[in-house]
Amino acid sequence: MEGIFSNLWLGFTVAAAPFNLLMCLIGVLLGTLIGVLPGVGPVATIAMLLPITFNLSPIAALIMLAGIYYGAQYGGSTTAILVNLPGESSSVVTCLDGYQMARQGRAGPALATAALASFFAGCVATLIVAMFAPPLAEVALKFGPAEYFSLMVLGLVAAVVLAHGSLLKAIAMVILGLLLGLIGTDVNSGVLRFAFGISELADGIGFVTVAMGMFGLAEIIANLEHKETREVFTKKVSHLWPTREDWKRLWQPTLRGTFLGSALGILPGGGALLASFGAYTLEKKVSRNAHEFGKGAIEGVAAPESANNAGAQTSFIPLLTLGIPSNAVMALMIGAMMIQGIAPGPQVMTERPQLFWGMIASMWIGNLMLVVLNLPLIGMWIKLLTVPYRILYPSILVFMSIGVFSLSNQPFDCFLMALFGLLGYICVKLECEPAPMILGFILGPLMEENLRRAMLLSRGNPMTFIEKPISAGFIIVSVILLVIIALPALRKKREEAFQEG
Amino acid sequence: MRIKGPKDFWAGLMFIAFGLFFLVWAQKHYQMGTAVRMGPGYFPSVLGGMLALLGLLVLIDSLVEEGPKVARFHFRPVIFILIACLAFAYLLKPLGLAGSIVALVFISALGGYEFNWKEVSILAAVMVIFSVLVFVKGLTLPFPIWPAFMN
Amino acid sequence: MLRGLIAGAVLAFAAGAQAQAWPAKPIRLIAPYAAGGPIDISARLLAPKLQEALGQPVIVENRPGAGGNLGVELAAKSAPDGHTLAIGAIATHAINPWLFDKLPYDPLKDFRHVALMVQVPNVLVVNVELPVKSVKELIAHARAHPGKLDFASGSTGSTGHLAGEMFKLMTGTFMVHIPYKGAAPAAADLMAGRVHLIFDNLASALPNVKAGRVRALAVTTKARSAFLPELPTLDESGLKGFDMTTWWGVMMPAKTPEAIVQRLNTEIFRALESSDVKERLRAMGSEVPAVRTPEAFTAFVAAELKTYGELVRRSGAKPD
Repeated sequence: MEGIFSNLWLGFTVAAAPFNLLMCLIGVLLGTLIGVLPGVGPVATIAMLLPITFNLSPIAALIMLAGIYYGAQYGGSTTAILVNLPGESSSVVTCLDGYQMARQGRAGPALATAALASFFAGCVATLIVAMFAPPLAEVALKFGPAEYFSLMVLGLVAAVVLAHGSLLKAIAMVILGLLLGLIGTDVNSGVLRFAFGISELADGIGFVTVAMGMFGLAEIIANLEHKETREVFTKKVSHLWPTREDWKRLWQPTLRGTFLGSALGILPGGGALLASFGAYTLEKKVSRNAHEFGKGAIEGVAAPESANNAGAQTSFIPLLTLGIPSNAVMALMIGAMMIQGIAPGPQVMTERPQLFWGMIASMWIGNLMLVVLNLPLIGMWIKLLTVPYRILYPSILVFMSIGVFSLSNQPFDCFLMALFGLLGYICVKLECEPAPMILGFILGPLMEENLRRAMLLSRGNPMTFIEKPISAGFIIVSVILLVIIALPALRKKREEAFQEG
Repeated sequence: MRIKGPKDFWAGLMFIAFGLFFLVWAQKHYQMGTAVRMGPGYFPSVLGGMLALLGLLVLIDSLVEEGPKVARFHFRPVIFILIACLAFAYLLKPLGLAGSIVALVFISALGGYEFNWKEVSILAAVMVIFSVLVFVKGLTLPFPIWPAFMN
Repeated sequence: MLRGLIAGAVLAFAAGAQAQAWPAKPIRLIAPYAAGGPIDISARLLAPKLQEALGQPVIVENRPGAGGNLGVELAAKSAPDGHTLAIGAIATHAINPWLFDKLPYDPLKDFRHVALMVQVPNVLVVNVELPVKSVKELIAHARAHPGKLDFASGSTGSTGHLAGEMFKLMTGTFMVHIPYKGAAPAAADLMAGRVHLIFDNLASALPNVKAGRVRALAVTTKARSAFLPELPTLDESGLKGFDMTTWWGVMMPAKTPEAIVQRLNTEIFRALESSDVKERLRAMGSEVPAVRTPEAFTAFVAAELKTYGELVRRSGAKPD
């Protein structure tokens, strides 16, 4: 225990060096900006900044890059709440209740909740990283394809809970998402699927493209339906800050979200995303206010926000301890480290303690900076929402289009975005929810990849999912969850049958 | 047989269409393999089938249960917004960022119900300046600013 | 005679002047892979050096997709005025032509191969629990347990995959190929013991080898690696003639003027020799290539094309 404190102290002295502080600030500022701008993501930014980092010391470079990464999480939540645009895949869930809160004039409390929940989660998660990095990394290693597959099955079942409408349609949307996610090159066989000979589809459809279309465009089109300038955001803005009632409601979801997020963030590949909507689902199931979810429940913002920020922090664990990147951003960080001559892996902790602990300390500092930056900005964002919608929406379109175009500097992605905008609008009309579809979209290819790989490794034995204890655990929970979901619906049908009979 | 729930009816149809599409395409073009060693066609076929089945269930539900009607499909905003985005994307290279943003702002503004020339022009100008500063100068994204013929 | 000399001088001057009028506008360097990967990083290392030398901005443009084919195709179809460069790699110019039925470019005819930039060997690494300490023992083990060993790769058709197939062919063993999405997840499963071996690229394998989390058996190049000098090569270990690297270099559209190609070749190698670029590329496992001239590069590409055509055909590594 004492060792931890002396290490953390070392870390803080490194991170608090003026130049490193400046780098941290630049990083989180940039990250927030990136997160707010749809389409331009941390991956592209970090890649563009890599050459600049060559001239910096390794610590300063990594601090800045890390700041960009979790700064983007904060920024992504902001757009999710304000204009229903998820900046990052983990912000999708925040759109559900956050945007509704904004429409009800409660953008202030929503943004404040997001910022504070994220900060709390960031602090706790940083502590967890500091104290438990090596053992947690070992746990992460225990997750093989079978375990991932079962976890994702659980995640998808949970995705169905996200919907507040018809169960059947929610499941159908999930499956539709799964199918759309399969477009592109199949990992296991190398075959190009559903691409119709269009080479741009060879790597599949990007998350950003689908999200911008289904969430952003569809929302704008739907808002333009009526002749009278319908106030998209009510003029009546209540407090900028959460009320006492709000505080009472949000501290538990924040706690639960933090721990769930910390746990799932460790898993390379999809952990942080699962964290945010896992937390949402969990809250919906345990909350007394479950009926409000989807209509502006503050728990629906607190839980996923804390989860995704906790996940963002703990996803550094596999990177720093094993040298395994959890996502594309981490892969870039490895590249940055290697260029600096640092070989990522377990020896970083022992051979370069300043780097390791300095980074961890800077994550805490970065979170602090982000809260300090974001809270005052809330007032500004609220003002932004009072701009007449007829001026607001073309601006949103400009940012969306630039962002999507910059993905591969081609018009094709914008074309796809438009297609998904149409699909999204149709779904709005038919009351089919986009959130389950998007989650299916992201998880689908991962599920298939892991399923087939698990079968390959087990030489075709489907019992492998039950034989491995962790995997079996997830499957059992999935089944239980399915039953819990299906029971009320079935009971309702039975009651109706009884009444009619 | 009366359609009692139009929303669900069309939703069901949509799901059936998507499901069948994926199922048939996968069957036609990709190997199924076996359950034990799945080929690229396996997952899409199974899922496509499930989707179509669910769509059928939703459809049947719509014939049996009372459900809400589909609200009017407003073509005007759909067309204008989508064309605005497409215009931006395909005009970026020929007209540069300046031209494509102007096109985007004007076309999308036309899709709303209030259109004021002065207001939209100012908005377009502001958007161009802001975007150039943030995206091209700030983030060094490789966008041409001015139309191609001006080089 | 004097008139002839003057005419000749004027012509030479004009030709030189034409080459000197280039570059007249910013040059784009197309990186056919996503931002942040090793190819992208090396492009971003090169760009500022070229910019300094040529006096015009050199802008890296990412055009990911289709395993690199999209970006490379774009370059092939660009105007041959010397303002478009692209990074072509083993994947786009030696392997994909055999994996894809209709490639929209010809890897030899549509390009001038200006300069080979990076050559990285692969390393045969095995899980530490596997009871083999050398290539010989591995081959024996594989022969004793046919179909029981799993070898991972970063993707179907990658050098790691094909190295494995070559190994199987040359040793007559049967191992199961498990493709992953990228080297990192493959390495993770290797360390956990879910797969038994990978032909991993040097840069990502090195940290794990040094930390003892995996065991290295050999390198895939003919010459030993300066980073792991005690490791034998596969060629030394009984697989005669085994020589595989992952490589990439700068290319331009086929009809680009010769003077421009030569000038770029000079500048690129000057950049590669500069101390900071050299250090950073070394960190990736690459030394300055021995293949120097554009002509040698073209010959190299042609040879690689042939080798991998053979390999893909014999091993049946085509996507089903």
